[in-house]
Amino acid sequence: MEEVVQFEETVKDYGSKEIGPLTFSVGRGEIVGLLGPNGSGKSTSIRLMLGLIRPSLGRVMLMGLDPLRHHVKALDKVGYSPELANLQAFMTPSEFLELTGRLVGLGRGLLNEQVTKTLEDVGLSAYENYKIGKLSKGMVQRLSVAQAMMGPPSLLVLDEPMIGIDPAGVVHFRSLFRRFVSDGGTIIMSSHILSEVETLCNSLAIIHSGKLVFRGEIEKFIQTALKSRLIEVELQTFPDDLLVEIQGVPGVTRATRMERGYLVEAASGSDPRSEIAKLVVGSGAGLLSIGYSRGELDEAYIAAIKGSGN
Amino acid sequence: MNIGKVRTLALYELQRTVARKKVLALVILTILVDTIPYYFLSTAGSSSIPLAARPYLWVVGVFLPQAFFLQFIALFISAGSMSEEYEQGTAEILLSKPVSRDEYFLGKFSGGFSLLTLVVVLNAVLSVASSTLTFGPQLSLEILPSVVISQVFSALVFFCAAFMIGELVRRSSLAYIIASAVFFTSQIAGIILGAIFRLTGNEFDHLLDLYLPTSPVNSLPLLVARPSLPSGATSVLQLGGINAIESSVVFSIGLIAVYAIVSLVITRVYFGWADVAKKIS
Repeated sequence: MEEVVQFEETVKDYGSKEIGPLTFSVGRGEIVGLLGPNGSGKSTSIRLMLGLIRPSLGRVMLMGLDPLRHHVKALDKVGYSPELANLQAFMTPSEFLELTGRLVGLGRGLLNEQVTKTLEDVGLSAYENYKIGKLSKGMVQRLSVAQAMMGPPSLLVLDEPMIGIDPAGVVHFRSLFRRFVSDGGTIIMSSHILSEVETLCNSLAIIHSGKLVFRGEIEKFIQTALKSRLIEVELQTFPDDLLVEIQGVPGVTRATRMERGYLVEAASGSDPRSEIAKLVVGSGAGLLSIGYSRGELDEAYIAAIKGSGN
Repeated sequence: MNIGKVRTLALYELQRTVARKKVLALVILTILVDTIPYYFLSTAGSSSIPLAARPYLWVVGVFLPQAFFLQFIALFISAGSMSEEYEQGTAEILLSKPVSRDEYFLGKFSGGFSLLTLVVVLNAVLSVASSTLTFGPQLSLEILPSVVISQVFSALVFFCAAFMIGELVRRSSLAYIIASAVFFTSQIAGIILGAIFRLTGNEFDHLLDLYLPTSPVNSLPLLVARPSLPSGATSVLQLGGINAIESSVVFSIGLIAVYAIVSLVITRVYFGWADVAKKIS
């Protein structure tokens, strides 16, 4: 897999605290959730990869280039939306996107087309001539993502992109980001909303106290961090003995009846979902859904953070 | 270097500065400074202003703001140019684009300086218009362009100094305070050193006065204009207390260039070396 970002023993020393050494990479086509408590080094990592700050040791490569020495080339196809962006209040969304479009090198013809399309994409067409200072926090957040998408880029770096966005907007942004990745893009997304990361991302980079705690797939992280996992089985009917049969499946440690199905606890290393599904189908109970419980990432994250020293 | 991106950033900087209410207040002040003196002169009575001086009264409006007002506008515009972007967190958005530090630096500088140039031109145009309306047709206006150019050039000293301070401290209020303090200290030191020199004749005091940043700034436009102005106009300037320190045009240009270049080099080196600060306020 082609690597778009590489941290190589990168250290940022602020004097009072040190972030790093960080060594990890992000491959093309990934949606990486960058997680960690406040002050752990997420924003520093983002700012290092964008060449906004200088590493004290080691180096960061962006698109195969040093973003400090080859800033223009390295950032040519990168869009960045900062956390709680404070955009130019005196401009309108159209003017602001025109500005960012010009800075990413769009010509006049393409510029107008992209401004219109991007405003549509983020749901701000109706507000294109309002002053940014008059927009709500959620709209400013949408605009912040919009300016990052001008170009278009091939790598999106998003710091808390869903903050302040209404639920319909969140759903819309998810599909926008998925489309971006299916078109060949890569996303690095810092967030404290773990359910959002679980829904959208396919891998994680967890930083705690300046150190990389985990880098890899979400599934693997949960397996590693949790001793047991919860499987939710949704059923139409509840045949006799099915619960006992499920309890006998290898790897299952406990199964309990819930209002709409069973909650099955399984040892972390095992994956008894297919066995359980076979039993349910065979019993004629009518399987509506089966899958790992949502919210496992929260538990795994807390376990990992505690395990790494806090 | 992509000139298109520099131009985009310069236009953005111009738009950003104009959007600040402080700058709007400065434009209003410019209009007042260029109209109020003529109002007072016209109400002073016909006998108090010699007939020979009346066709040259435009020099009052053009030169009167040079020592304080124009320099204050210069540092007001430039002190916030870099620092406000850090405070508001907008610098990191602009600098995360494929824009080189040189393009950003040049764009910010040229945008702010273009606005200052417009203010100087506005000052000259309003002065000529006010004096013509109040005292009839004005003479020797052919030297006005060179005076305006020298005023714009001399404004580089405090514009560049405040630009540098804004980048170094990255707090707009602190930058205004420090830049203003440097300006007022230099002005006051110039007055004191000039007075001591007149009393004692000590050349060292004169030399010190010559090298103060305010000296070439105050002197250059007058030194440029004086050879072309008739005695009627110079008497108007003397009446208004507008005097140049005895120096040469070349020396003044050289000193202004040195002050400006040193400030700009320090700013560029620091801007290239330092991290882009996160949102401060």
